[in-house]
Amino acid sequence: MGVMRLGYVHTRVTDLEESRKHYVDTLGMRVVAEEPGKLFLKAWDEYDHHSVVLEEGGVGLVKLGYKCRTPDDIAAFENRIQSFGAVTERMSKGENLSVGDGIRVVLPSEHVLELYSEIDVVGTETGSLNPDPFPRHLVGVGVPRIDHTLVTCEDPATLERFFAECLDFKPSERVVTGLDRDADLIGSWMFCTNTPHDIAFIKGPNGKLHHFAYWLNDWNEIRHAGDLFAMDDVSVDVGPTRHGITRGETIYFFDPSGNRNEVFSGGYITYPDFPTITWTPDQLAKGIFYISRELNERFTTVLT
Amino acid sequence: MTWLTVAGADVTVELHDREPMLSGLFRSGYAYRVGCKRGGCGICKVDLVEGAVDYPVTVSDEVLAPDERAAGVCLSCRAVPVTDSVIRLREDDRLRCVAPFLAAAVRGGSSGNSSVQKGKD
Ligand code: FES
Ligand SMILES: [Fe+2]
Repeated sequence: MGVMRLGYVHTRVTDLEESRKHYVDTLGMRVVAEEPGKLFLKAWDEYDHHSVVLEEGGVGLVKLGYKCRTPDDIAAFENRIQSFGAVTERMSKGENLSVGDGIRVVLPSEHVLELYSEIDVVGTETGSLNPDPFPRHLVGVGVPRIDHTLVTCEDPATLERFFAECLDFKPSERVVTGLDRDADLIGSWMFCTNTPHDIAFIKGPNGKLHHFAYWLNDWNEIRHAGDLFAMDDVSVDVGPTRHGITRGETIYFFDPSGNRNEVFSGGYITYPDFPTITWTPDQLAKGIFYISRELNERFTTVLT
Repeated sequence: MTWLTVAGADVTVELHDREPMLSGLFRSGYAYRVGCKRGGCGICKVDLVEGAVDYPVTVSDEVLAPDERAAGVCLSCRAVPVTDSVIRLREDDRLRCVAPFLAAAVRGGSSGNSSVQKGKD
C-alpha cells in the first residue's frame, strides 16, 4: 500500500485575506483552523483535517504532504530514501497542526516532502451515515478535494527514480527527447493511487511549483468553474481545454499571489501494471493542450 | 488620472485611478508578454524610464528584489503609476496592438486630453 495519496499542499501567499477570498469564496474550501499568518483549509469531500495550508509571506511551495498507510511503511520508506542518498529528518506530532509523526525529505529536486500516517479525521461534509451526494450549500466552485501537484526540477530522471524506488510510485506517462535508449526524460506523470497522476514533474528550475489541482466531476463542472472565475475576476491561464497527457479536462488559473491552480476532471484509471504511455517532443504541445495543440510560453516560464 | 507611455512603441494610454500598468494597457487594446497577472511570476517586468509607481498590493521580495525595485524595475501587473510615467519593455519583448479598434476608441474617446495625448495627434 505505502503512500495513499496527496494529503496536503502548503504554499506561500503574499496576502492572506485576498487568498481567503479566492480559496474560500471562489473555490469553496472551508477554513478549519487559523494561526497567525496561516490558514488551514479543507474541501467538502475530504475527511482529513486539512488539505491546503496558506502561509503569508512570499509565493510558491513550502512543502507537500503525502499520507501513508502505516508508521511501518514510513520506516521502510525512510530506509530506502536514505540509501537513495536524499536527506531526511524525523518530524514529530504537532510540528504541523493536527498531523502526527512522520519524516521530512528534501527531494533531489529541492522540494520538501512530508510523509505521515496520522492526522485528525474530521469527516466529510456529507458524513458517512446515509450520506447525500453533496452538501446543500456549497460556495463558489465547491471543489470536493485536491487531486495532484506538478512541480519543476532540473533532473526529472532522478526524481522519477526517487519516486519509483523509494515510494513505489509508477509512471503513467513520460515525455522523452526521443525513442532511443539514451533519450532524456523531459517530464513524468506518476501515480500511487488509481488516478493518472498523484504527482508530476517537468524539466525546469528546482524547488518550484507549477500548479496544484482540484478534482471536479466532469466537463460541465469545469465550464461552470470557468464562469465563476470570470465573475470573480480570477486570472485564467489556459482553458477550458483537455490535456493529451492524462486525458483530463482542465482550466489553469492563478490565485491572488500568482500561484497556479487547476481544476481537473476526467482521466483514466491506473493499476500497478498500467502500461506507461510515451510522448515525443514533436507531439508535446498536443500532450499538454490537446485541442489547441499549442504551448503558450507561460506553461514553461510561469512558476512560483 | 495618469498617463502611461511605452517608450519605443509611441503609445500612451490613460490609466484609471489606482489602475496597474498592465491592466490599463490591455484594456486599451495592447498586449505584451505577461504571466500570472497577480504578482507571482515576474514575467511582466518592465523598466521605469520616468515617473513613479506605488504597489497597493503586497508583492514578494523573491519576485521583485529590493535592489531591482530601487533600480526602477516594475512588476507591471501590480505597479500603479502615481504620476504620468514612461516605461520600456524588456529588449526581447514588444508592445503589440491586438485590438486596433479599441486602441483607436481609447485615443479618440477620452475627454480632457492631456498634453501627452495632444502631442501624439
Ligand atoms: S504577470 Fe506574473 S508577476 Fe506580473
Ligand atoms: Fe495538473
